[in-house]
Amino acid sequence: MDELILNLKREIIEVLNLEEVKPEEIEDDAPLFGEGLGLDSIDALELIVLMEKNYGIKLSDPAQGRELFKSIRVMATYIRDNRKK
Amino acid sequence: MQEEIFVTGAGVISAIGLGRQATLAALREGRDGIAPVRYLKTSRVEFPVGEVKFSNEEMCRLLGVPEAGVTTRTSLMGMIAAREALEQARLPGDGGERVALISGTTVGGMDKSEQYYLDFLENDSRNEYISAHDCGACTEMIADYFGLFSMVETISTACSSAANAIMTGALLLRAGRADVVVAGGSECITKFHLNGFNTLMILDREPCRPFDAGRAGLNLGEGAAYLVLESGASARRRGVVPLCRLSGYANASDAFHQTASSPGGDGAYLSMTGALATAGLAPGEIGYINAHGTGTVNNDLSEGLAIQRVFGERVPPVSSTKAFTGHATSAAGGVEAVISILALRHGFIPPNLRFSTPMPELSFAPAAGGSAAPRHVLSNSFGFGGNDTSLIFSKTD
Amino acid sequence: MGLVIRKYSYINDRVASVDGRAIPVPAGEEKFLTALYRARRVDYPRFFKMDALSKLGFLASELIFEGDASRFTPRDHVAILCFNRSSSLESDAAYQATIRHGEEYFPSPSLFVYTLPNIVTAEIAIRNRLHGETAFYVLERFDPRALVGRVGEAFQDAATRAVLVAWVESFRDSREVFMMLVEKNDTIFDLPFSVESIVELLNRGRNG
Repeated sequence: MDELILNLKREIIEVLNLEEVKPEEIEDDAPLFGEGLGLDSIDALELIVLMEKNYGIKLSDPAQGRELFKSIRVMATYIRDNRKK
Repeated sequence: MQEEIFVTGAGVISAIGLGRQATLAALREGRDGIAPVRYLKTSRVEFPVGEVKFSNEEMCRLLGVPEAGVTTRTSLMGMIAAREALEQARLPGDGGERVALISGTTVGGMDKSEQYYLDFLENDSRNEYISAHDCGACTEMIADYFGLFSMVETISTACSSAANAIMTGALLLRAGRADVVVAGGSECITKFHLNGFNTLMILDREPCRPFDAGRAGLNLGEGAAYLVLESGASARRRGVVPLCRLSGYANASDAFHQTASSPGGDGAYLSMTGALATAGLAPGEIGYINAHGTGTVNNDLSEGLAIQRVFGERVPPVSSTKAFTGHATSAAGGVEAVISILALRHGFIPPNLRFSTPMPELSFAPAAGGSAAPRHVLSNSFGFGGNDTSLIFSKTD
Repeated sequence: MGLVIRKYSYINDRVASVDGRAIPVPAGEEKFLTALYRARRVDYPRFFKMDALSKLGFLASELIFEGDASRFTPRDHVAILCFNRSSSLESDAAYQATIRHGEEYFPSPSLFVYTLPNIVTAEIAIRNRLHGETAFYVLERFDPRALVGRVGEAFQDAATRAVLVAWVESFRDSREVFMMLVEKNDTIFDLPFSVESIVELLNRGRNG
């Protein structure tokens, strides 16, 4: 799980071009949206692409994304339980 | 008092037909053009679209241009619509006028690029199809077909492109940089933006339901439409009878987000109030609003709230004709300008199709259609990038 | 009352200047535009998500507005008009590459957004809270007369008191932005907004 969380942080930083953020600066339980990383709706859509591309998880409803992207830990837990690659 | 701008010609092609007459008939009979994909070669068949019901070959024959050429679908539709507008305005006339073409397009020749794509990031060959991709090139193709224009410009502001072309046309005339302006836009459906809108998760898998509480996104459409604009003096000299006036126009920036509209519709509020100010009209004088009304959750709420801010308790009949045509993106503002002019001249309100449940956030419900006699019609076109434009068309008498 | 150039900036792949003064940018491993961003101490992480066209326009506007105390107050009297030749072709190609292959078919929403050239005007408007007119024109070639004509027209409405106008091009080997803040003024000490000024200042920018 820890490895998945770290990988996920690296992937998010890369795909969302978070140039000035380091993996250790993203807290496992902090919200991804709203405060903190300054992510917006396009970033959420890009995370949906990431879920499919890297883990074979297809989300068809942006509202589902909002639930999953509450924190890195929520996201990683969902990936662990549902990944297809 | 600034010089008045008159509309002396209008041409249109969209999912609901080729030409003003077919468009008018479809609007009055409530016949939409949303259907499963038929002409676009794509695997994304789950999304209904508002395609123009002609193949490129058929359009080539209609225009008498070679079928094997590099002419893009965007250009072919543009030529058909511009031809109708020019014929109505009796152009080319016996000469002397400086005629400008201002055309809105964003995806431009992407249909040909998709067909003949060479990776121009890795490979340096830039063949004729790839150069047709350039959105300026599509306008040049339309211009070359007529060989009439002393000035050609392409405006690219996403889904407000054609409306901005029309506004730019009025500015050009008022600045004396042209005598007559043909302004509007053209855009075909491409896999490129069908996929793009899909990644934004704003495409409805059913025919769209603008301003309905259950709305679930837009249907992509395509088409082209142009207006001929000129001064009263020019119209009199050329002996043409104006269809109406372009009395108001304004563009404003939402300055909120790259694609989403602000919660209160700040840009939309500024473009509508700005257009009313240029026209010298009070909100109560508007008899019909042809809304941008894409059918997305975000647009219709933001636009609806902005309409309420401008019109208060007395919101005039509002409808989105994108339920008929689909969202013709860069061409939408042109197609809807022609629809607004048809409503003005023929005294009716185009219905907001497929509406059943009012949005709880709004005080008004969209119009069911029927006869009316609007003297002034306001048409909204909003583009990604928060580029919001409102146009007002007014009766001449 | 004529139109004057209040401030202007120029950036390409090697040099940057504002009002004709070169901006020192330390050479390093980072790309020039990123190095320029850091050299000016801009704190706006969204910069890193932009395509090259938007980065150019954004940085040119930073050079013009940096130090302006009133810059983040919402204003609806400043218009932003951009012009170029290649539209968003560079981002179009990058996005197209994400939808080419059947097996690697993952269209990117963030790349798609930048296939709209006018997003550069949005980035500047969002950053500076500018609610005036915005537009993007694609010309066959660089034509200072088109800029002068269109800016003059933007001043026709009652609302517009300043226009940020730019030639901003990013395709292959031609990457540059030349931006001017144009205002109404009548003092003879100001730089007139004219075809001659544009050509001269652009050449000066290019020559570093």
